[in-house]
Amino acid sequence: MACEHSIQRYRHWYAKLLRLYSKPYYERFGEGMEQTFTDVLRERAEKEIGLSGCVLWMFVETTAGVIKEHMTFIIRRHKNIIRIALAIALILLVPLLAMQFTDEVVWDLADFAVAGALLFGTGLTYELVARKMGSIAYRVAVGIALAAAFLLVWVNLAVGLIGSEDNPANLMYFGVLSVGIIGTSIARFRPRGMARALFATALAQALVPVIALIIRKPGVASMEAFTGMVGVFGVNSVFVLLFLGSAGLFRTAAGEQTPAGAEPEG
Amino acid sequence: MAKDKARSPLTPAVLHILLALSTKERHGYGIMKQVKADSQGKVNMGPGTLYGSLGRMLEAGLIDESNKRVDPEMDDERRVYYKITGLGNKALAAELERYRELVTVAKQKRLLPSTLAYGV
Repeated sequence: MACEHSIQRYRHWYAKLLRLYSKPYYERFGEGMEQTFTDVLRERAEKEIGLSGCVLWMFVETTAGVIKEHMTFIIRRHKNIIRIALAIALILLVPLLAMQFTDEVVWDLADFAVAGALLFGTGLTYELVARKMGSIAYRVAVGIALAAAFLLVWVNLAVGLIGSEDNPANLMYFGVLSVGIIGTSIARFRPRGMARALFATALAQALVPVIALIIRKPGVASMEAFTGMVGVFGVNSVFVLLFLGSAGLFRTAAGEQTPAGAEPEG
Repeated sequence: MAKDKARSPLTPAVLHILLALSTKERHGYGIMKQVKADSQGKVNMGPGTLYGSLGRMLEAGLIDESNKRVDPEMDDERRVYYKITGLGNKALAAELERYRELVTVAKQKRLLPSTLAYGV
């Protein structure tokens, strides 16, 4: 009788442990596991074998099971996000390794953190938006737009597109990204709207060096200043082309189909 | 696809559970006892491993759940019984065949436990 009382007490604790499983898992197997736990203890009690060692073993074993089930759930649900994180870790290994062999690469913790956050943000955005895609053109368009946005931020933080990274004119490029973000939210990921948003982004990108030229009025007396200006326009046009290419692909996607999960074109 | 599943190698836990269910439907504790008996006490599966494996086997279609019922040899609690499916039978047969082939190779190479000098 005293033994049955102990078994019921252990069962009560075991039931609490089982609550650590996910709700669907607990609802499906919780009762069966509790019964099995009790059955094992009753068998031992009948054979007059001590319970505490077995209880401890089953608690440890079940705790390992809880951890394993949660890990499996996380890996399954966030498989692509884990892949992105691993890819970023590999990318960040490049500068880390380079630092061991050359003094040309000098990254501090903040550099790694910013690069990691930027890469992860870009990858995550792609993953979330690509889920909505209905065609390869749409997916490639998202990839190009995100790659261009990433490079724009990266280059501006690292060296600055206009002059140096300290040149305030570079802040206008964050306005370019704002145009893209606002356009995307208005378009709600619908391909035709996305095409318009990316055309607007390309236009904003093209206007930045022109506005900078009007406001700053840099002298072009020296050859160095002239080539610098041409360089800014040249690099800028690469981004313009990337945004235009993305817009064109969104337009192609709009002609093909409506992305899954996106609302039909109005 | 189902054919692939039936041919893929099984984990030791899954193999033992399929073996236990190959003769009749059993509930969790019944499976646990049968696994222990089949392995001559070498495999002692706890509820965490057992139900984790059962969950994956149900998902893979190797086993199925029967209606809850009382085990006449035990208390009056109603229990879920598990039964092997056709796919589970095929997977078990394929795994046993792999073991048989392995033993044949070991015999040809005279690598049976009686002929091996362990620890040398």
